[in-house]
Parts: sequence; structure tokens; C-alpha cells
Amino acid sequence: MSYDKPLPKPEPWSEPFWDGTQEERLLFQVCEDCDASVFYPKRYCPECGGEDFEWEEADGTGTVYTFSTIYKYPPSAFKDDTPYTPAIIELDEGLRMMSVVTNDPEEVECDAAVEVTFDHVTDEFTLPKFELVDA
Amino acid sequence: MNREIAITGVGEVPSGNYPDRSVLGQALNASMEAIANAGLEKEQIDAILPASSFHDSWYNTDQIFSMYVEELGLQGEVQTNAQVTSGGASSASLMKMARGLIQEGEADNVLIVHSEKFSELDFEDAIDVFATLGIPRQWEAPYGINYNAIGGFMTERYKHETGASEEDVASVCVSNREWAKDNPNAMFQDDLTLEEVVESEMIASPLHAYECNVLADGASALVVSDSDIGERYTDDLAYLDSHGGTVTHYSISQEADVTRFGWEDAANKAFRDSDIDREDIDAAQIYDSYPVVNLIALEEMGFVERGEAGKYVREGHTEPGGELPMTTNGGMLSQGHTGAGGGIAVLVECARQLMGDAGDRQIPDLTNAVETAVGGTYMDAQVSIYTNER
Repeated sequence: MSYDKPLPKPEPWSEPFWDGTQEERLLFQVCEDCDASVFYPKRYCPECGGEDFEWEEADGTGTVYTFSTIYKYPPSAFKDDTPYTPAIIELDEGLRMMSVVTNDPEEVECDAAVEVTFDHVTDEFTLPKFELVDA
Repeated sequence: MNREIAITGVGEVPSGNYPDRSVLGQALNASMEAIANAGLEKEQIDAILPASSFHDSWYNTDQIFSMYVEELGLQGEVQTNAQVTSGGASSASLMKMARGLIQEGEADNVLIVHSEKFSELDFEDAIDVFATLGIPRQWEAPYGINYNAIGGFMTERYKHETGASEEDVASVCVSNREWAKDNPNAMFQDDLTLEEVVESEMIASPLHAYECNVLADGASALVVSDSDIGERYTDDLAYLDSHGGTVTHYSISQEADVTRFGWEDAANKAFRDSDIDREDIDAAQIYDSYPVVNLIALEEMGFVERGEAGKYVREGHTEPGGELPMTTNGGMLSQGHTGAGGGIAVLVECARQLMGDAGDRQIPDLTNAVETAVGGTYMDAQVSIYTNER
């Protein structure tokens, strides 16, 4: 079955991140000038304006900062997925990212521990998703 | 700078589902009403600033390219036609641009106009439009988020950190509805109880159906004038006293604190630049869109303690007859969400109340009001103080 949901449209500087997800590695930028950790990937360092970055691999663990389970009126491409639970994840490295928690919605709560999983949705894209650690 | 410009006229058509109403016609009706309300002839308008419409990109582009100048017969009279938009914060951005034009001598009277017709979209298309506007394409759209989920994110974390109850959050819907009952332009004017809100269907947890705004057709307009000039044509002006704003994020996932946003910073700037203190504020015209936004704004602007806003609203203090009337047009939760017009409707109401033209919902003894706006995924916090005393 073809995948008909929105896919990322990478920028040249974010391609290493998406390549990493295909290898099941969750990467973030570290500025070579000021050592700031950066996510999502940026063209210029938001702290110092530098444009040289190294890529580091995150542990893939973190907590649920907040979440909402969509029961009705999702974007049309997600109609068959309800209920599903988009969540803002706070990685242990202190970076935040949008994702979904794939567990039963009833089990999800703020500050719950999660770890990354990788959903190879197409040949070209893998989306990092998260599951509860102690479920 | 304080009180040197004022809203001198407002116009508005009823919000709701009006498939037979012309989107251009409602814009022109609101504009002519605002110009007449200011006591002006249309030829006295020097600049037209349209906000954005989302239902039809062709219509939106026509607004950029001076359609209203021609439709109002103002060729050669108007010096500037420029679209100004920041989504739900357009009201604040439009006022800042109007102030700049007037204070730089580019205009004496500026017409602000907004018109939206979501009923031209079928239901699913309307849902999908709001799953793209302000939603980062690369980092967030692939996860299927929408505005109800974003409202859910804020509400869930706010309840987690403050201990606010379901009823505390829902109380805003009831307060807004109590005002909308006396607003003939509101989409929803029927009784609404706390029980009905919390027992309504779960849409995006923890938000129930009545806690989610409904898209509406609507149009509104304001005339903004140099205060000295405006006073020659009308006795009822809403003077802009001060303004504070801050932009906190683009992506909701990158907002540092979804239970606070930038309201404290924006309010501190506005009150710092004003002679009016928080205790002098008679009304809080807060941009709602989701009920938790009002609770956060009330707390962060310094009107109630952190975590206490729900109790305050449940006790009726923000309803008709209360000590701090809030969002007195009913807000997007009851007047309807007209896109960028949702915030403009709150601004129109702020001015209308200060002008003494709010009919059965007129706030007695009103002198000073605080008004807020916020765009996109709560990307900014815009706080303005208006008064009817020069």
C-alpha cells in the first residue's frame, strides 16, 4: 500500500539527519564554534551564527513533555489512524522534538519515560517515533 | 506616542456559516460601516491595510493588489495598499503598521479590513488547511498534528503543572458564551453549561468538542486615525495607549514553556510604557481560540496568580456583571473563528466597548481595557492597552 501521509521536505543541511534515521540513528547538530547542541537541524547556529556542525547521536531516550490524543477531525491523511497520540518529546540531551507515542493513549502521561523507535514509512524516509519505557 | 492614534470606527458582519453571502460584499459592508462610524467620508481614507484570507488564495492576492481601493472608488485617494498579516496576531501587527503610517505623516486615516469565507471550502479541506498553516512541514506535519492537538498540548501540560481541573479549563467556554448571548454577531448564542462542555465528545485530549473553536465566515473593519483628526469627526474614540509584544517560536515543539508563552514579557512591556496600571484595567479582551489560552493570559499578564485563573473564571468574575469582563464578543469559542479575523474581532469588540456601542453587553463604567492577540501556533504574545480617555 502506498504511503499517502505528508513526508518531510528536507533542506540540504538536514539531510544527514534523515539519512541517520534510515540507519536507526537519531542525530543532532553540535556547533563547532560554540559547542551548542541544536535540534531541529539549522543552517546557522542559533546561538552564535556559526555554520560548521558535527553530528552526534542521541541516546534516543527522553520524556513526554506534553501530548494530545486525536480522536476526531485529524488531517485527512490520518483518518484511519485515530486515535493516535502526537507528543512533544524532551530528549535526555535537553532537545525537544515533535513525534508520536505509539502506545495505547490511556497509558500516556506527561513526564513519562520514552525511547525512540524507527518507522520506515517509505524507501526514502524513516520517522522517529517513541514508545513508553515501562509500559 | 501614547494616545496619539485611536480607533475611530468599527464595522462587522455576523460570523457563522453564510454560504450565500459574498466574501467581497461583506468586506465592503464592514468597511463602509467603519468609515461611517468614524464620521468620515470614504475619500478621507489614505491607506488600506487588508489582513489575510485563507479560504481562497486568489481572493487573498486580490486584496494585496488593491481590489478594495477600486471597489471603494478610492483610486488616486489612497496612497498605500499593503497586506499586513501575522495570522491571529494580525490585529496587533495591523495597528502597529497603522501607527507607523500615521505618525510618519503618510496617512491621517487608515482602513483595516478582513474578510473570510471558510464555507467555500468543504469540511475536510478546511481541516486540512489548518493542518498546514503554521505547522512545520519537515518536522511536525509528518506526525499528523493539527490545531486541536496543539490546544491539547497546552492544556495537558497546563493541567499537569498547575493542577487545574477539567472544569477550570471549561469555565472559559461558559464565560465566553455568557457574553455571546448578547452579541447578535456571534455564531453561538444559546445557553451553555459547564456540564455540557465537559461531557461533550473528546476531540483531541484533553479537549472536548465545546473547547474547540469552529471555523466561521465573517468580516470586520476598523478605521484608525490620528487622534487630533479623529476627534473632529467623532466623540467616541478608543485610544491606543501602549503595546508590548514578543515572538517566542515558530514550531510548537520549540516553545520553551507551553503553559506560559511570552505573555508576562509582553504585558510588562505594555504596562511599563503606560500610565495605566493593572488595577486600572476594567476589561480583558483576550484572544481565546482555546480556553486554556485565556487562563494562561490572565495569569501571565498578572491579573490572577498562577494556577488560579480557572477558579477565578468559574466564580463568574469574567462574566457579565463580573469585576473583570473578558472576551466580551464571545471570542472564537462563541463568535466563531474567522481565521486572521478572530483576533481582529476581539480588537473590534475592545474598541466598540470603549466607544460605548456594545448594546446589551455594554460594560458599565469602562475606561481602560487590555487586549491580546497571538498568531500561528501561539508563536507570539501581543498585549495592547486601550482607553477612551485622551
